[in-house]
Amino acid sequence: MSYAVMTSNSRRRFLQTIGAAGAVGTAALAGCFGVDDDEDDVEVGDEVPELQFVFPTSGSNPDRNELGGFISENLEELGFEVDRQELDFDPQIQQATVDLDFGLNLSGWGGTPERIDPGIFLYDMHHSSTTGEGGRNGAGYENPDYDEIAEAIMAETDQEARRELVMEAQEWLAMDQSRCYIANEGGVHPYNAERLESVNPGLGEGLNGFWNFMEAEPADDVDQVTFGYSSDIFSLNPMQDLTTPDRQFIRLLYDPLYRFDEGGIPTPWLAVDEPDVSDDGTTFTVEIREGHTFHDGEEVTTEDVKFSYELFAEYSPTYATYLSGVEDIETDGNEIIFQLEEPDATFASNALGQIYVFPMHIWEDIDDPVNEDDEDYIGSGPFQFDDWEREVEMQLSRFDDHFEPPNIERLIRVPGDEDALVDNIESYEIDMLGVNPTTTQIDRLEDDENIGMAQFDAVGHAFMNYNMRRDHYKDVQLRRAISHCVPKTEFVEEIRGGQGSVTHSPIAPAIEEWHNPDVDEFDGDLDAARETLEDAGYVWDSDGRIHYPPDWDDDDVQMFLSVDG
Amino acid sequence: MGLREYVIRRVFQLILTLWTLVTLLFILFRMVPGDPTSRFVMDYPSDAERQARIEELGLNEPLYIQYIEYMGQLLQGEFGDSAHYRQPVSEIIFPLFLNTIVLMFTALIIAYTVGILFGAAMGWFRGSRFERVGIIATLVARASPEFWIGIILVWIFVFQLGLFPRSGIGGYGGELTMNFVDRYINFDFLRHLILPALTGAIVYLATPALLMRNTMLEVLKADFVEIKQAEGLPERTVLYKHAARNSILPLVTVAAIATGAAMGGSVIIETVFNWPGVGREMVASVSRNDYPVAMAAFLLMGTSVIVMNFVADILYLYLDPRVKYE
Repeated sequence: MSYAVMTSNSRRRFLQTIGAAGAVGTAALAGCFGVDDDEDDVEVGDEVPELQFVFPTSGSNPDRNELGGFISENLEELGFEVDRQELDFDPQIQQATVDLDFGLNLSGWGGTPERIDPGIFLYDMHHSSTTGEGGRNGAGYENPDYDEIAEAIMAETDQEARRELVMEAQEWLAMDQSRCYIANEGGVHPYNAERLESVNPGLGEGLNGFWNFMEAEPADDVDQVTFGYSSDIFSLNPMQDLTTPDRQFIRLLYDPLYRFDEGGIPTPWLAVDEPDVSDDGTTFTVEIREGHTFHDGEEVTTEDVKFSYELFAEYSPTYATYLSGVEDIETDGNEIIFQLEEPDATFASNALGQIYVFPMHIWEDIDDPVNEDDEDYIGSGPFQFDDWEREVEMQLSRFDDHFEPPNIERLIRVPGDEDALVDNIESYEIDMLGVNPTTTQIDRLEDDENIGMAQFDAVGHAFMNYNMRRDHYKDVQLRRAISHCVPKTEFVEEIRGGQGSVTHSPIAPAIEEWHNPDVDEFDGDLDAARETLEDAGYVWDSDGRIHYPPDWDDDDVQMFLSVDG
Repeated sequence: MGLREYVIRRVFQLILTLWTLVTLLFILFRMVPGDPTSRFVMDYPSDAERQARIEELGLNEPLYIQYIEYMGQLLQGEFGDSAHYRQPVSEIIFPLFLNTIVLMFTALIIAYTVGILFGAAMGWFRGSRFERVGIIATLVARASPEFWIGIILVWIFVFQLGLFPRSGIGGYGGELTMNFVDRYINFDFLRHLILPALTGAIVYLATPALLMRNTMLEVLKADFVEIKQAEGLPERTVLYKHAARNSILPLVTVAAIATGAAMGGSVIIETVFNWPGVGREMVASVSRNDYPVAMAAFLLMGTSVIVMNFVADILYLYLDPRVKYE
């Protein structure tokens, strides 16, 4: 068993040493209480080591906490020993995602429109280049054959060919079970149906969606709409490391060249038309709208676009990588020309759809764009910034000169405790909520005819990672057996009260274009789990504890089913 | 030992206590797994970017260097920049701190005024039905969790009577100002203040009420009370002017410490009523590993308690000449 050691942080190293010592101690203890083979007729190998199962506390995520309990019980019934480690949000990320100190890790990924394209879920999260500490391939799935298919998905520009690759990739992932995909959690966001004639919940985001703020229709006499969310925005400066709620409001203030439409396809926004791509796929030419202005009245020019792309390339921790393949940016009248080093199928959705255009006349005077802000947040987006007091509220108003002005005249964003905000909906003090109420609260809200419920499907998902860096999770059959112990339907129907849908693939069923419904399924079937283990030669001792097959060899384990031969 | 020497010695002790507090806090926060970048792990394109941020925050330095740097900063009266907001900690904490002080002082003033009068009356009417009911009521209030009292008040005053707004410090969409008068002296703010302040008052009321009653029982045995009664003074005058005044001494310490602790705000009241105060921020910053903000918030509260304790000790010297400094 090897532990990753960080050289940069002595405290972490200290904690890890303690952790390692603990593990050694446990192993030594296990040795003392070895099984007495004499009493047993069956010949057995070593005990399968205790499963170190990391999952959220009930405070951090009540639903997944309950699921973690169910999975543990199933595993114990099957003869595994489970070390349940319930952790709060940050400690869980630190231990499981950064320090990679876990056996099983129950976690999840949020889904925003940028993630509708299958690239992120299929490449970033399963390619062998992202298995490092803090990387997105937390399972440590390193399958050279899969790498090839994932790389092809990123490069393939022919839609039909790409689709076939995406389908195949999902089949492979389901066979190999480097990660057990459990459910797309989805949700329901309440709103005041008296004050809002209609809302437009977005895929994966509900009322946080861009098109909700654009298209929600206030009643006749309503000129101010309040929107509640469980935390305040940290920063409106895209040069900083941002969380999803930050991005959801930054995009109201600033315009990109292309916007993701409701189906996650980048469509012309500040750009007049689709980008003109050269035959070799390395030159993208974009023509921008004439006469559009920033909130301060200055016109948006290609110079601003060029300046912004260069600013992002230099400073943004999140977006700079999208621009690393850009060799040169030139402007020509109303056209901006991006010269890439090599063809990139994702340039339109990653760079053109996510890099915002800043006013050069403001940001060129800012020396340290990461730590300093434009305090008025002048952009050219459909909403303009009015005022903000942290933890109290943020005030935005409609930018009337925008080419697509929203229906809401004034938008107030109120952060706060979720329960208080749900009460605020019930006392008609706020108009929309961007978080999921609990099952009991939903029942109560549904009784009020003045309150509407906006249902939406998820793009992201809950999943359980196997740590394939550790020997005992290398066996594909063992992983498949453990996956059989995850009661997915029970999670959605019982624990989540019917919110969301069961999934077996990283691509959500709601994304019909890319989802493969025909892959191996696992769903709380202990008989199937037992059978899988028996077929693979695993045996149980007289106490019901599970053991490796007698002739077990760590170096001769089948890691992947997807590879032929 | 003279008064001067006593005060100097106490000030020295105060500094020592504060230093211990800072050091303990510093170590405790670094013991918690994770760092300010943990939350963003999934958002960094690669570990290199995250490491760069850790270096930028100086968290790659050995712990003792970070400690020396932090202490140096603190001695210059600076709390540093928040790892999360990338703004000076003082800018973030100050408005929240102000909100907390306004709420907690209102609650404490109600609690101590009502508590003292009520406690004195309970002591005076010892053995009566009034006292028995009073003690039970006080104990119930003291034993009730803050959130429960808050929820009950919300249920009655917001959802049944519709008298007060549910949460926040002002009507949504109003003017956001840091001008103290415009911010706090208006009807809308008052409407928002009443329920959380009342919740706090109910919770804090028990201590002064029970303490006052106990001291009253002692004082009532004293000869001067009997003499005053013999002088034929009205009962009310003897109760509040003479007996109560002499019973108030122990409350000075309790009130001073309560005031100090109140500076840290009440996480629960602030959460239930969505009050943008320093207590909530304290919890949030701890869970985000935003060390500078968490340190500052705890330090502020700890310092208040220590300083108010000191103030109480000094006040004692003046209020009660029998107290000796040794």
